[in-house]
Amino acid sequence: MHPVFRLVNRNLTISLNMGFVIWQVIFPVIYIFVAGFAYTALIHNVPFGTRNLDYPAFIASGMIGFNIMNSTLISGIIIWNDRRHGMFEQILVGPFTRAQYILSNVYTIGIIGLFSAGLITAIGYPLFFKSVEFNVLTVPLVVFAAITGAILFGSIASIISTRLKSSEGFNVVINTVFLFFAFVSTAFYPAQGAPPVLATAFYFNPLTYLVDVVRAGIFGNFTATVGYEMLVLLAGALVLFGIATKLLSRLEI
Amino acid sequence: MLCVEARSLSKSYGDVVAVDSVDLVVEPGKIFGFLGPNGAGKTTTIKLLTTLIAPSSGTIKILGTDALKDPLGARRRVGVVLQQPSYEPNLTVEKALDKYGMMWNVDGGTRKRRVEELLTAFDLKDIRKKKNDDISIGQRRRVQVAREFMHEMDLLFLDEPTVGLDPSARRALLDYIKGRVRGGLTIFFTTHILEEAEYLCDEIAIINRGRIVAIDTPDELRKKFGRKKTIKVHVEGVRDLSGVLRDVGPHDVSYDGGTVITLHSADSERALVRILQVLSSNNIEVEDLSVVPTSLEEIFLKVVRDSEGQGDASGI
Repeated sequence: MHPVFRLVNRNLTISLNMGFVIWQVIFPVIYIFVAGFAYTALIHNVPFGTRNLDYPAFIASGMIGFNIMNSTLISGIIIWNDRRHGMFEQILVGPFTRAQYILSNVYTIGIIGLFSAGLITAIGYPLFFKSVEFNVLTVPLVVFAAITGAILFGSIASIISTRLKSSEGFNVVINTVFLFFAFVSTAFYPAQGAPPVLATAFYFNPLTYLVDVVRAGIFGNFTATVGYEMLVLLAGALVLFGIATKLLSRLEI
Repeated sequence: MLCVEARSLSKSYGDVVAVDSVDLVVEPGKIFGFLGPNGAGKTTTIKLLTTLIAPSSGTIKILGTDALKDPLGARRRVGVVLQQPSYEPNLTVEKALDKYGMMWNVDGGTRKRRVEELLTAFDLKDIRKKKNDDISIGQRRRVQVAREFMHEMDLLFLDEPTVGLDPSARRALLDYIKGRVRGGLTIFFTTHILEEAEYLCDEIAIINRGRIVAIDTPDELRKKFGRKKTIKVHVEGVRDLSGVLRDVGPHDVSYDGGTVITLHSADSERALVRILQVLSSNNIEVEDLSVVPTSLEEIFLKVVRDSEGQGDASGI
């Protein structure tokens, strides 16, 4: 087996446990089925392209992007744990290069991102199945969003993990950053109707682009704006991955 | 083919020279001990030899491969147990061994067999289902060392592998290492416990302030630096012997003020005869006496002291 896949195997073994899967399921289920239906009384319909979505369908599709982001925290946690528990050095004195270590993290977060997207699509399907328009053009959009989004957020988590040494610092920073991403985005509510400053802030947030592309894939609403958002997502993923790679390559031992 | 060949190896951090023009040669099938006080440059040297950090200057060949040009190639048949703990907290002991073997591309059948062998050899069977996070520091260290034997190798770096181990686990590990060396493995071994080096090593290098200050077999080091023997004389009754001991002559005598007189002398036989004469002529009865050859610890302390310009140049 290629060294990168051996490292991916190891990453998945240490990351995927029952607690992680439960966290991956329970958290979005509460948002989709509790918040989704509770807010229906306040938000009846959400305009989306040429149609209106009911709120549970809107939030369920938003939770796919949200969960991809959340799951890629794993990338930062793997790197941080490897540094803290000495495995980073141990791997680098073994039959692996730094480049292979970094690449294995990319594959790991890609796999976890896809797994997460698939999981929430399955959970949320009963809510948005009426409006779903999956076809050969829209499914690749969801896959593209899952992979680029995973790399983008995984890179952010990796960057944070290379800069912080204490567990308290790592947890505080990563939770604050990801909390901002979660709630200042179109994952839970549409940008239309939000105060102008907030609506603008939504578009300084990569999660908004991820969620918009996922929704376009699920509801078959590919427009020029979505194309532009895909480019932003891809550029963001490449730049942040480049920075994360550079920081990991220079990480002192 | 030499297992380790380092020439003029140096590593500096700014103005601080951590390793200074070190030359090291380790022959196959040997246990090479690498000793030095804290901060002497042992771990930096190991990090250089295992390609974890790059040297400021010098060359390194590991198992015949240029480690600076082809670090991955140099590491392919090398195992490393670093000084710092390394473990995956949420894996059980047996899973940690198995996954480590997988990382080294060891096939499933071999891994299964080796896991069982190592669980037995390192007395880990009782904790095989426990997670690394839930076991003691000593047990975790045993897992860390055992893990390295999951894969095939020709050379193993052990950086203070017995830290945190109880005496029986320590001896079991040293014996296991000896057994593996009989099977053809070469070991580069650092320790603070000099009895371990004495028990295990075929050759010893002592490093201080980044420089190799002595390198030889334990016996040759003793011949070079351990000419003096230590003689301990226990006398009956407590009295002040300071005046009497002035007559012993030009020997290094220390007296605890009670019943124990200690002599360090390169000419131990004459010294012993002389002190017995002096004690006899003063009607002092000897209760017990012992002559102890110089230990590696004493040699180590002397070599380190000498390298810092504090020694007496006459041997221990």
